[in-house]
Amino acid sequence: MADLKLTDVKKSFGNVAVLHGIDLDIKHGEFVVLVGASGCGKSTLLRLIAGLDEITSGSMEIGGEEVNGIAPAKRGIAMVFQSYALYPHMSVFKNMAFGLKVTGSDKASIQKKVEQAAKTLGIDHLLKRLPRELSGGQRQRVAIGRAIVRDPKVFLFDEPLSNLDAALRVQTRVEIGKLHKELGATIVYVTHDQVEAMTLGDKIVVMNAGRIEQCGTPLQLYQHPQTLFVAGFIGSPKMNFIEGIVKHISEDCLVLTLSDGTITKAYVDSSGCNLDDVVTFGIRPEHLTEDSSADVSLLATVTLVEQLGEASYLYLTLADGTEMVMRTSGESTTIIGEQVEVGFNPESGHVFDADGGALTRLRAGNTKSVAELAQIKAQLSN
Amino acid sequence: MTKTSAGKPFPWHILFFLGPGLLIYFSVSVYPLLDTLRLSFFHESSDGSLAFAGLANFTKLLFDVVWSEPFWNATWNNLVFFFIHMLVQNPIGLLLAVLLSSPKLRLSGTYRTLIFMPTMLSVVIIGFVWQLLLSPLWGITENFMWNLGLEDYFDAWLGKESSALVTLAFISVWQFVGIPMMLIYAALLSIPDELSDASVVDGANPWQAFFYIKLPLILPTIGMVSILTFVANFNAFELVYTIKGALAGPNYSTDIMGTLFYRTFFGFQLQEGSLTMGAAVATLMFLVILLGVALYLFFFQRRIKRFQL
Amino acid sequence: MKIRHDRAKALMVHAVLLTYTLIALFPIWVVIINAFKSRKAIFNDPLALPTADTFSIVGFEEVLLRSEFDVFFSNSMIVTLTSIFFVLLFGAMIAWALTEYKFKGNLLIAVLVAMGIMIPIRLGTVSILQLMSDLNLVNTLTALVLVYIAQGLPLAVYILSEFIRQIPKDLKEAARCDGVGEIKIFFAIIVPLIKPAMATVAVFTMIPIWNDLWFPLILAPSEGNQTITLGVQQFIGQFVTDWNSVLAALTLAILPILVLYLIFSRQLIRGLTSGAVK
Ligand SMILES: Nc1ncnc2c1ncn2[C@@H]1O[C@H](COP(=O)(O)OP(=O)(O)OP(=O)(O)O)[C@@H](O)[C@H]1O
Ligand SMILES: [Mg+2]
Repeated sequence: MADLKLTDVKKSFGNVAVLHGIDLDIKHGEFVVLVGASGCGKSTLLRLIAGLDEITSGSMEIGGEEVNGIAPAKRGIAMVFQSYALYPHMSVFKNMAFGLKVTGSDKASIQKKVEQAAKTLGIDHLLKRLPRELSGGQRQRVAIGRAIVRDPKVFLFDEPLSNLDAALRVQTRVEIGKLHKELGATIVYVTHDQVEAMTLGDKIVVMNAGRIEQCGTPLQLYQHPQTLFVAGFIGSPKMNFIEGIVKHISEDCLVLTLSDGTITKAYVDSSGCNLDDVVTFGIRPEHLTEDSSADVSLLATVTLVEQLGEASYLYLTLADGTEMVMRTSGESTTIIGEQVEVGFNPESGHVFDADGGALTRLRAGNTKSVAELAQIKAQLSN
Repeated sequence: MTKTSAGKPFPWHILFFLGPGLLIYFSVSVYPLLDTLRLSFFHESSDGSLAFAGLANFTKLLFDVVWSEPFWNATWNNLVFFFIHMLVQNPIGLLLAVLLSSPKLRLSGTYRTLIFMPTMLSVVIIGFVWQLLLSPLWGITENFMWNLGLEDYFDAWLGKESSALVTLAFISVWQFVGIPMMLIYAALLSIPDELSDASVVDGANPWQAFFYIKLPLILPTIGMVSILTFVANFNAFELVYTIKGALAGPNYSTDIMGTLFYRTFFGFQLQEGSLTMGAAVATLMFLVILLGVALYLFFFQRRIKRFQL
Repeated sequence: MKIRHDRAKALMVHAVLLTYTLIALFPIWVVIINAFKSRKAIFNDPLALPTADTFSIVGFEEVLLRSEFDVFFSNSMIVTLTSIFFVLLFGAMIAWALTEYKFKGNLLIAVLVAMGIMIPIRLGTVSILQLMSDLNLVNTLTALVLVYIAQGLPLAVYILSEFIRQIPKDLKEAARCDGVGEIKIFFAIIVPLIKPAMATVAVFTMIPIWNDLWFPLILAPSEGNQTITLGVQQFIGQFVTDWNSVLAALTLAILPILVLYLIFSRQLIRGLTSGAVK
């Protein structure tokens, strides 16, 4: 079994603390995606797991075994680098065989393993080529192949698709998903791409400035972001935030006056709220409609229209100057400068207190069971 | 409108850019070289007039004992000089470069600057400095070896036929080790960190990572360092001239192509200088260097592509 | 356990590098400290620093009295600076013309210039001397400058071409659209852009010129025209037995270069390691 357990892992480079205590529990076979703003320490965390850097304090276990101070090759991990890091002077075969060769496997078993991995990845016809004679996608596969042949317990991927073009990225993403199911290995995967994170991950870890902000299934993060940061980070375009003041408190709902004067309900856990608290109300662009008969409606001026075809994004400004984005149907005929009434259902709203912590939502998007999730994800990737 | 097909105006600006530089380059470098090659086929009579002599100068140099003995002696010495550089200077340079490029090394810049320092100084200065240090009169080296318990091995190395050439080669190695070090260091730096990381994850120990990954990748640089060493060695003159004079003593044991060329052209003491024989020696040096460069291009340059990152 | 291992390794690395650094510096150090000692002290304890008792600058006095060090120095300066100036100017002009314009003979010229990187100009010495005597330039600094320009041009053209190739096309084309002439484009746009590369070239060109013995010995050996390298060589040859003078002369030749090197070493090393020379 290859559970991965990090307890209060800290890392400093000299005096600069980069990771401030990471606790993470990854079960065998899980696909965990690390996301977060640039420079928040994702790569650093991955390199710590790989053993390429030493952790400053805390403990790390792979398969129940403490691996602090154990060499990378002995940890049962394999890593796929962003730039692929293929050895430029070795053929594809030699690239894939290198790890086996230096650890003393015999020739026959190397040959067998490499050929098998190559077949799995559909690169068996490329084995004699040099890396520079391959396309980006093929290089990517070789890099993955090099990881597979070593039969690791944990795969580490650092933004593996960021050098590919959009079409190839989609294709490779699907393949990585399949590969995960085939190999059943534990995967830790760093990405900047929302869609990759949502579609691939069993679990997403959102990092911010060297800390784990939230960790959960994709839908948990989408529906129940626990902080303002996560709410803004997951989802694209990002969630709209409007300042509001608590005007009324009942057991399962708050009444807020938003900064432009609109009054709305919000179905959240109100314990700990006081009247006249300043909070942030959040509503996702896809939960806004041009339907003026919705429960709540905001009056806004359209400042920009982006037409994507299947949908359009309207950039709006409220009376008080707050800027918002909404996603609407591609058929929308709204034009720049138009005054529109934008509606939403209060059940899809989020509320964050002054410290940026979320108030638990009571109505919408209850946490799904794993089985339901699997179903939803299957639909998503079709 | 003028038709462009009627001929463009003469490109004066190209002439302006190329003219002055090429005038100097062709008249002071290309022409003299070609003229030297030409002169090597002539004979100079005592009144200074030139007469075509075919290959006579070369047959003399290569086969007439009076000329061929010094010539082959200098060639052989020059080869020894070169091999010592290849076997000592370049490996040490490689070792230093590898150490300098170790990750997170403190003071790396300081080491680099200081180790490179002798390379900056004139060979003449370095020659004198070592002549003083090795002098039995001053006794610095002798004392030093005495401290190490090696006093029996001390000798006036520069004065002995058996050791003078090797000693000179070591002095030159000492001075120029900075060049291979710097060039190889730069090549090592240009290898992406991710490659080393990948080899660590693959389970390669530092030796394997070096021999299987880094060494093949810096091979083109090592090839370039070798050819630079070759050209510089077969063109060397100053060190021998400074320490041993134009006669390259004792008994010509430190004579190399450069000093032979100088003596043949200018003459020295009893020997009379000869324009055409000097040209012949220069021509042979030219051929040797050309051969070296050709071999390099053939063996290395052709394969460099293989290693491109 | 791994950490201790790492530490031991780092210690080893430092030990080797430090040892070699000492090997590289020791000879120079010994010469410099002894230049400031009395003759007796030089022999009694060569490794000791000069003390109040042993301090002496008699060597320097002798050198300055009996040779024209200032003349040597200024000759070297004149030759080196003039040569560098023209190498940079002509080198950049040739590099620009060869990379920018297509014309007949472009490739041939490029190949001939490139050959000069590998083939030492020294091999043409016989004819160079004849040429200079035909031009009545023997025993002048001009002869040296001409030779050094020819010697420095190939590498300069090579390095500068690499840089010029990286200049975005738009810059020149925008200027051409504005009707700026080719010569003005070169001096007003290209030259400022390749200044960093020129600094690298300047350093690479300077060292062999300053340190050369061969051509001063052959082309300008007479009194009053020696460069510092030749001057030191002749002076020491003459006063071999006067240890104070020899050490002082060496020190005078070493120190200016050392100071310059320490000031410019960053630039030089950056040039060497930036891949400008491949
Ligand atoms: N070797 C190092 N020495 C000092 N600081 C470092 C080192 N490596 C990383 N850092 C710092 O640690 C922080 C986290 O870096 P890291 O590479 O983990 O970010 P990241 O989340 O992977 O960002 P990106 O998404 O841009 O790849 C950054 O601020 C970086 O500057
Ligand atoms: Mg990163």
